[in-house]
Amino acid sequence: MPDLYASLIAHHSSLSAYLGAAVVALPAALVAVLGVASLAGRPLSERATARATSAATGFALLAAVGTFVLMLAADSRHVVIGFGEWVHIGHGDDEPHYHFAVKFVFDRLSVPFVALSLVLCGTIGAFAHRYMHREPGYNRFFVLYAFFTAGMVTTALAGTIETLFLGWELVGLSSALLVGFFHDRPAPVRNALRVWVVYRVSDAALLLAAVVLHHLSGEGDLDRLTGYHEGVDSEAWPFGRCPLTEVQALLVGALLLVAAAGKSALVPFSGWLPRAMEGPTPSSAVFYGALSVHLGAYLLLRTGPVFDASLVLSAAVVALGLTTAAYAALVGRVQTDIKSALSFASLTQVGLIVAEIGLGWRYIPLVHLLGHACLRTLQFVRAPSVIRDHHGIENALGGRAARTAGGGRLRARLYRFALERGHLDALLDRFVADPFVRLFRACTALEKRWTDAIAGRAPRPAAPASEPAEKFKQPA
Amino acid sequence: MALKAAVEEARRSSDSDPAEHLRHAIDHAAHLLPAQGPITVFIHHNTLHAFEAQRFEDAVRRGGEVFGCQPYLTEERYRTELGRGRIRFDGLRWVLRDDLADRADDQIVGLCTRLDLRLAMLQYPVWTGPAAELDYFLAETHALRRVRPDVSAAARGRFVAESRRWVMRDLRGRAGGPAWAGPLFRKFGAARIETWDDPTWEAFALEGLWAICLAGVAPLAPAAPPPAPPVRHRDLLVAAGAADPDLWVNDLLVRFCAAFLDQGVAHWPLPPCGEGEGLYRSFLRLYGEPGAPPAPWLAGLPAAARRLLDGNVSPLDAARESLDALGVPAAEWDEFLAATLLALRGWGGMVREIEARGDRVGHPIPAGSLVEFVAVRLLLDRLAAAHAAKADLGYTGPPAGLRGALRARLPAPPRPTAAQRAFPVFQLAQVLGWAPVELSRLTHGEWALLVSEVEAFTGVERRRVFHLAYERRFRTQTLDALVLHWKNLKDEGGRMKDEWTPEADPARGSSSILPPSSFQRPRFQVVTCLDEREESFRRHLEEVAPDCQTFGAAGFFNVPIYYRGADDAYFVPLCPIVLTPGHWVEEQPCDGHEHAHQKQTRTRKAYGAASKGFQVGTRSAAAGALLTGLFGSLAAVPLVARILFPRLAAKAGDWFGRSVFTRPATRLKLEREPGHTPAARNDSIGFTVPEMAERAARLLRDIGLVGGFSRFVFILGHGSDSLNNPHKSAYDCGACGGSPGAPNGRALAQILNDPRVRARVAADGVPIPDDTRFVGGYHNTCDDSVTLFDLDRVPDSHRAELGRARADFDAACERNAHERSRRFMSAPLDQTFADARLHVENRSQDLAQVRPELGHATNAVCVVGRRENTRGLFLDRRAFLTSYDPTQDDAAGGTLARLLGAAVPVCAGINLEYYFSHVDSQGYGCGTKLPHNVTGLVGVMDGAASDLRTGLPWQMVEIHEPVRLQFVVETTPEVIVGIMDRIPIVGTMIRNGWVQFAVQHPDTGEVRLYRDGVFEPYTPQADELPRAATSADWYRGWRDHLEFASIGTTTDG
Repeated sequence: MPDLYASLIAHHSSLSAYLGAAVVALPAALVAVLGVASLAGRPLSERATARATSAATGFALLAAVGTFVLMLAADSRHVVIGFGEWVHIGHGDDEPHYHFAVKFVFDRLSVPFVALSLVLCGTIGAFAHRYMHREPGYNRFFVLYAFFTAGMVTTALAGTIETLFLGWELVGLSSALLVGFFHDRPAPVRNALRVWVVYRVSDAALLLAAVVLHHLSGEGDLDRLTGYHEGVDSEAWPFGRCPLTEVQALLVGALLLVAAAGKSALVPFSGWLPRAMEGPTPSSAVFYGALSVHLGAYLLLRTGPVFDASLVLSAAVVALGLTTAAYAALVGRVQTDIKSALSFASLTQVGLIVAEIGLGWRYIPLVHLLGHACLRTLQFVRAPSVIRDHHGIENALGGRAARTAGGGRLRARLYRFALERGHLDALLDRFVADPFVRLFRACTALEKRWTDAIAGRAPRPAAPASEPAEKFKQPA
Repeated sequence: MALKAAVEEARRSSDSDPAEHLRHAIDHAAHLLPAQGPITVFIHHNTLHAFEAQRFEDAVRRGGEVFGCQPYLTEERYRTELGRGRIRFDGLRWVLRDDLADRADDQIVGLCTRLDLRLAMLQYPVWTGPAAELDYFLAETHALRRVRPDVSAAARGRFVAESRRWVMRDLRGRAGGPAWAGPLFRKFGAARIETWDDPTWEAFALEGLWAICLAGVAPLAPAAPPPAPPVRHRDLLVAAGAADPDLWVNDLLVRFCAAFLDQGVAHWPLPPCGEGEGLYRSFLRLYGEPGAPPAPWLAGLPAAARRLLDGNVSPLDAARESLDALGVPAAEWDEFLAATLLALRGWGGMVREIEARGDRVGHPIPAGSLVEFVAVRLLLDRLAAAHAAKADLGYTGPPAGLRGALRARLPAPPRPTAAQRAFPVFQLAQVLGWAPVELSRLTHGEWALLVSEVEAFTGVERRRVFHLAYERRFRTQTLDALVLHWKNLKDEGGRMKDEWTPEADPARGSSSILPPSSFQRPRFQVVTCLDEREESFRRHLEEVAPDCQTFGAAGFFNVPIYYRGADDAYFVPLCPIVLTPGHWVEEQPCDGHEHAHQKQTRTRKAYGAASKGFQVGTRSAAAGALLTGLFGSLAAVPLVARILFPRLAAKAGDWFGRSVFTRPATRLKLEREPGHTPAARNDSIGFTVPEMAERAARLLRDIGLVGGFSRFVFILGHGSDSLNNPHKSAYDCGACGGSPGAPNGRALAQILNDPRVRARVAADGVPIPDDTRFVGGYHNTCDDSVTLFDLDRVPDSHRAELGRARADFDAACERNAHERSRRFMSAPLDQTFADARLHVENRSQDLAQVRPELGHATNAVCVVGRRENTRGLFLDRRAFLTSYDPTQDDAAGGTLARLLGAAVPVCAGINLEYYFSHVDSQGYGCGTKLPHNVTGLVGVMDGAASDLRTGLPWQMVEIHEPVRLQFVVETTPEVIVGIMDRIPIVGTMIRNGWVQFAVQHPDTGEVRLYRDGVFEPYTPQADELPRAATSADWYRGWRDHLEFASIGTTTDG
């Protein structure tokens, strides 16, 4: 045995490189298998799809745990798996001016998070296999689900901001498409579009943050941002100092905060969260109860040193987190459908986790996040049992649950605020979306006038509203 | 004087009572709302109950128009059924001939008979579409180059050859031919006409045919007048291109209604929930607070709400004010209000249902809530329509004039073009082999006749005919099976041919399952619910134990009660929804167990308080942070265990439950102290002995169990236990108001074991031997288990037999599970009986399972008669079986009238709900279960803010065959006609064709089928019934519906 242990230690770096690569590659392979089969017009059978999904997530989880064991054995706190530099512009080999790398990092933050993602994706994948049985969109669901899993793993392990962005986009795209899963009805499509728009705002902020980061330091490596140097364990997560100046940190941090706020449905973006419940129950459970709703918080944890570098920024994070928590706790009190009630309950905890991050804590929010994700997923998959649970509790307590009678005008006002979900969507529509639309309409009108003037034509009237599409059908 | 009084009266009623008129209009419109109560008490009912006064075919069409839903399956689906033989072509022809009667053989302009034309239109899809799409289709496909692929090669050859002969002989080179000929010759190059090959001729003939059709149709008068413009502002606004105001109004109203009706999901109830504050005033108070919501369309709401509130305007007056403001005259109220209510039909219907039956929920709502709902809706509609018209269409005139202005803008509805009307004729000419030359000779009048004939057979008409043929095939199979089975069993005089005796049958338990005769004493008797899911259970039980006898009765067993279990917080009604129980029954700990029970209650209370605290805590901020942070990760264990190993996790949970909560022995408190009127108080619970005896005797008479009692009679209620299933109540016993019927069976057994009851029942003419024991029980139709109650009171003399009977139940359950499993696509077909039981147990404990069982799916038949007539007949879990012995009934059929009075509406209700939820899953049903979200504990929505979804989910009705229930009643036409006249609901359902009805003569077995007021004799189409030794032999390996078959080796008939 000692020999084995010794050889493990000796070879741990190459072994953990293989295992680490497997964690990333297996979900990607799942996407390829399911995706190529669908593109070829020969989707796998329900059973084969489910087997492929559980095999990919199961082995990826084993590989992640294996990597973790190796890290513990070798007492290493920061393992990097590189997939090469894709762009390298520089004066010399040792000091690139600008580079663009794809790499993944295993450390005390990413390992628990990737393990959580794989446990939940695997379990809910097994759930969905039975839940979605005989649904015409079964294959589509699992293809999107594979994209989501790959996106979560990529985001969790990302070592550079570009890699993170890649995973972030996959998560966003698959989420929006799954919200609109039942696209034969108008409501899911409308709500998916809304989710997508908020996600795009958040994506834009993250993309800008990446650009700014490259501009400031010539690279998007998160190690650089968090002040980690190769082999220095005392600089690995959760330690590390941000090398940026306070102003630079404020700029990058503010962009990251907007990105996180959109992804985690923090105020003022919270309106999309209940709308995302249009999808099938399993995806709602794992996305909005557990994983993607925490992704914003994860981003903040990953880039923690940036926030430490600026007091203003930290204060903003705490304020945003607490505001969201207070808002969601209030709104959640009046929700009458179980999925909305759970989604605002989720949001309450996400707000608190964000506030904890703003306070400079690291392990507390991480533990909070992991526990919350597991518990909320369980509650979400049990959501249709709410009637049974309610009766069970009534029977145990021996009577109808008493209602806390509300009184007073303040309560009535709070109630209306909560019932209307703080009017957040209406406010965004009126003060953000409407001005945008008006601006673009004005631009269109201007352009039309120019082109007409150039073409020497009389101004044209606006195009008529398009006619509703009619289907090819048999006579009624 | 009289005239003056009448005028006076009319003036008074129209002047002083517009409010009354409005109330009536709302009432009237409300009848269209779905009549489904809270989902916790799911009562199956006819989805088109509001149209029951009309004939079925008219009602489905009218309902389809009003609700925007499908009346039948799609034509494509019927055609698939025709292709695979489920609909027979000769059946289709028969139905069509029957439908057309003496019009069938009329010649249509000398081309074919009406029957042939319609048959062709049924057999071949006749495509059409919007004008632009049709142009595209003609230009881009082979429609004008190749004869339709479903026309046979011979017919195609004939078509081309005849056209060619005609062209060569009459058209080529002639002047004065038809106008289309010249351009066509030029296009195809007439100079080389001799060298044209076959495809060229085919194309030429088709182009010619098309030109002839176009030319024939072009001068015809326009088709049917366009439909009337919509009445609602919203529809007109959307048609004019404005935003959809219903999106705004519904969004707000869904949230508010959910808050108003919530039974306990939200932590904060809607304020103020004081006495007398209904929906209307709550809404006005909430939105009358200063500070308008930021959504622009709501800018005027606070002022409007305050004005109504301060002016003390009643909901009716407010509604009328809104109608006036919207410019809707009183004459249009009915139609306008119906359309308005249907815009959010699920929520409106739920308000109406909870208002009417407050006893079904924990938190009832005041009377008049639906009127208040309408008042609020109209107020919001007014604001939304005004804003949409102004913002999107620039309309600033008075709101009352909005509809007029919008109607003026409404584009004229497109009239069908000549091509659209000609294309069906073009296709029919190909499939029916009409030569171009024949068509070219038709006069203008003949063309008009031909086209009107084709257009008269509309899509709905075609589907109606298809549906009749679809039903006919199944009806023939059913009636044939019953007639042939009768012939196998009985001689000319209606006596059983071969009496069964235990001694005469050494192979007991293997093959012979003939019923025991009346003089041989059966080993045990079982009474179950008449539910069609019990059909297979009874059949398997009779196969396992041929010396037993089974009966079917409505599952409340004539014991309508409010019941409270020892662990329950409140009483629930256990009886059909049409009854209101007059008695209360409670489960109480047995003497000597009170202490244990109290301890138990305390433990449960602590546990309940803890789980409630945990539930609320995890949703709040501070407690939630502690709970999720500290214990959240532990949730991964139950999460993974419950999803990956559902059955083991459930077993572990049960084990834990048993070790914490020991259930003390209980009994039912059934007997009321004399001198008390029934009530929910302890001394007023239960029945008096005469009441018990009367109910028990009636049930025994109803099912014909008046003699030949065995030593054991089991009375099994049923229910379904599954997880994560908001529609659970729909799987439970319908005769118990959507609850498990275990207490009813237990109560009846306890009643019949009472010597005082037996004395009275005996005096009533039903002597029960002293050694007969009644045992109540519960059949769980989901995991197929049977639980028996009060076994400690079974005397030792009966113990051994009890053990044997229980083993038989167990074996029957396994086989039943096996037969059920063949319909689950995820269950392998080759599993053993024991595997099948594990499979269904897994299903019932699986959080991810959306089909824990298939409920009433495939129900199609209801047999009311003696079990001996259906015993040994494989009815594929499709038949409700009500036991009824016509030889015990009086001449007028008093017992039968009582049975049918319940069975017709209840069974037809189940059948029709499945019918409609299947033919239009999105419209009449509640769509797929996958995105369902439980709201306020009263119903489900799709996602977080949709209308309440009523009807059945697709997963429940997926394998259902939508046919109307076929009743077969063992009686004579005279008795039935009397009952139809005496009991209106039975008469209406039969006369209007909501059920199919047949009677089987109790002596001769002859079947007569009800058709248009008369019972016509039925002649079987088949000579012999298929046979199999056991049920398993018959169904093994098949997933689909099966033909009915005779099970067991009976004597040769």
